[in-house]
Amino acid sequence: MGFRTRQIHAGVTPDPTTGAILTPIYQSTTFVQPSVDEYLSKGFSYSRSGNPTVRALEAKLADLEGGADCAAFGTGMSAVTGTMLAFLNAGDHAIISDVAYGGTYRLCTKVLSRFGIDFTFADGSNTDDVASSVRDNTALILTETPANPTMKCSDIAAISEVAKKAGAIHAVDNTFLTPYYQRPFELGADLSIHSTTKYMDGHNATVGGAVISKTAELAEKVRFIQNSTGSIMSPQVAWLTLQGCKTLSVRMDQQSANAMAIAEYLEAHPKVEQVCYPGLKSFAQHELSSRQASGYGAMLWFEVKGGLAAGKKLMDTIDVWTLAENLGSVESLITHPVTMTHADVEEAERKRVGIIDGLVRLSVGLEDEEDLIGALEKALKQI
Amino acid sequence: MSDFFNFDTLSLHAGQTVDKEFGARATPIYQTTSYVFPDTDTASSIFNLERGGHAYSRITNPTVGVLEQRIAALEGGSAAVCTSSGMAATFCAITAILSQGDHIVASSQMYGGNISLMKNTLPRFGITATFVDPTDTDGFRNAIQDNTRLIYGELIGNPGLDILDLEAIAAIGAEHHVPFMVDATFNTPYLCRCFDYGANITIHSVTKWMGGHGTAVGGVVVDGGNFDWGATDKYPTITEPYAPFQGINLWEEFGPSAFATRIRAEAMRDFGPSMAPMNAFLLLQGIETLSLRMEKHRSNTEKMLEYLSNHDRVSWVSHPSMPSHSSHELAKKYLPKGAGSILSFGVKGGRDAGKAFIENVELASHLANVGDAKTLIIHPATTTHSRIDAEALVAAGITEDMIRLSVGLEDVRDIQADFETGFRAAKKVSGA
Repeated sequence: MGFRTRQIHAGVTPDPTTGAILTPIYQSTTFVQPSVDEYLSKGFSYSRSGNPTVRALEAKLADLEGGADCAAFGTGMSAVTGTMLAFLNAGDHAIISDVAYGGTYRLCTKVLSRFGIDFTFADGSNTDDVASSVRDNTALILTETPANPTMKCSDIAAISEVAKKAGAIHAVDNTFLTPYYQRPFELGADLSIHSTTKYMDGHNATVGGAVISKTAELAEKVRFIQNSTGSIMSPQVAWLTLQGCKTLSVRMDQQSANAMAIAEYLEAHPKVEQVCYPGLKSFAQHELSSRQASGYGAMLWFEVKGGLAAGKKLMDTIDVWTLAENLGSVESLITHPVTMTHADVEEAERKRVGIIDGLVRLSVGLEDEEDLIGALEKALKQI
Repeated sequence: MSDFFNFDTLSLHAGQTVDKEFGARATPIYQTTSYVFPDTDTASSIFNLERGGHAYSRITNPTVGVLEQRIAALEGGSAAVCTSSGMAATFCAITAILSQGDHIVASSQMYGGNISLMKNTLPRFGITATFVDPTDTDGFRNAIQDNTRLIYGELIGNPGLDILDLEAIAAIGAEHHVPFMVDATFNTPYLCRCFDYGANITIHSVTKWMGGHGTAVGGVVVDGGNFDWGATDKYPTITEPYAPFQGINLWEEFGPSAFATRIRAEAMRDFGPSMAPMNAFLLLQGIETLSLRMEKHRSNTEKMLEYLSNHDRVSWVSHPSMPSHSSHELAKKYLPKGAGSILSFGVKGGRDAGKAFIENVELASHLANVGDAKTLIIHPATTTHSRIDAEALVAAGITEDMIRLSVGLEDVRDIQADFETGFRAAKKVSGA
């Protein structure tokens, strides 16, 4: 069945008792066992280890990604943490694409380093750089593509080959494009990670995360660490995310179309220094983006002439666009990564990977294209 | 809200400022991911911990914040951080201060998940643990090594119900500059405020009595605000400059809540096991009746103990309020308002009789939780503690015939009538 059918029906079966078409919110900590010998015969014992509403979302996400199984987490960061703790031990090494969400960078350099795990930040756009970073003890390669916030892309198929040769797991953070546009398993990756907070929910209502595994064996390792560290999604969050997923393709297509129009508008604007959007011909990895994904997504960034000062003025005065963290929702958001989402990345590292001070990140929402462009026009005029 | 109100008042009001916009009496559910910033400078100062305020619900959320402040007030702690489960609270509390090469001295009588975390998972990251019989207070002292950074135990051990000598163990911790963390899930601050006896950190699975209705899974870490992190150089995560926040020194900036701030700034930001706002709301509702429920749990437990002790199909009954229990004196000292509503007993006829009993009671639910308003029973050896080996089973005080009962709030006559059905079935199986 096609993606749009599966995004609605996968994982969800009508409630056998009442016929309710939607999965009930099983807001229950625990599950009654029929007998000692039939312990777990209905599949659930305690909601930290599994919950029927959360399970429905997990089944849907596993189906949409084409994976064997999925574990839903409380946040995107707990999904990333779960992946790292599941596949890395003290003494191991991991390679991370050098542009990644600031939280991922901080988790590696400031937290997991305390537990004896080594990291190398390699240029994901240069597969040779990833390959030459491999060590004997490399157990995991994590690539975020397109990466937050510079939009740098990694070649999933080529890096999966590198991982296979190194005997390492290749995890792809697929948050920006979702399985609707990009399918990491078909390109050879082992795990797909999501902040479901973004496009899966799509309405700024929940924070959540997911790790989808290509094989049942990998999924078991993720599930074990999740249960041990107690990092779980709540049933009501899963329910809201289940509803969000049903309109994923519709939102993605419309938000991406808005993003394309805005990118083209900004590229032609005399007060704009540069625009970065994978859908633009001017995007350095336009060919790779077109090859490994079926859409370009709704994230882009630009720099106003006049750099940081001009960018801040634009962000503080613009209407329609909201100054807030997060991305991927129906509301259009404007963010200054250097002071907000990526403030914890050291200045030298930011410069090295292209997170310039004047970078203004746009998460394009579902509003009318004319209103979004009109607001940008008005704000740019005031600079 | 003042900290000087009494317990019942705090359980209703602490942490909540009435909604300014509409005056809603109940705490609104802020089901939102993010918060709009007035301008980029404000955004930047919130991100840098220079001012309070919400940026993103993984790190803080107003509904969850009310619950955190309420629990901190009830415990008499300086601050609290809520997590997605009790296990996440334990994990975040440990990793906030321990790194590769560090060591924990822990009670051997704990929830199986805690034991497994320390025995199987944390060693993969270079953190090891020595397990000590909770009744052997000197054992805690003897197990301390140069690299010990935490003493950890459950006040009322699960499921043997042995009680930690809080003051004595806290003194050992103080002597060695090692914080003493107590899992206070079974007692709740209503029965014992562990900080009053020298504990430094408490954690709870608020899934249990704190929430009380079996609706939401959640955890909390409470900072006692009474540990001098700066007295030694053993706790660099608290006392050394913290690079992600412009080299801030948490101990200097946040003093008594430095530990909680570390969990917020690191574990919640980077590990991300956040509590959902809906769960916080459900748990707040539960805490409003904590005192009432705990009183009823206590009186029902007393009646069940009397009933079981006099029952001819019961081979033994164990609860710290009974003079026969090895922790009876400690229970009188630390838990004068009741030693919790978990009790265990053996059904005559061993494993098969126990099984028949569990399968024939109807009102009491057979499941893996405790602390619900409803009466729950389980056979620990085959369920909650099934992942630990035989030796650890003995150390945890579990026998094959043990049935663990979490006494609920039903009319106790109905619980007893239900048990009679179970005992009749057990008798048939044992044939005696």
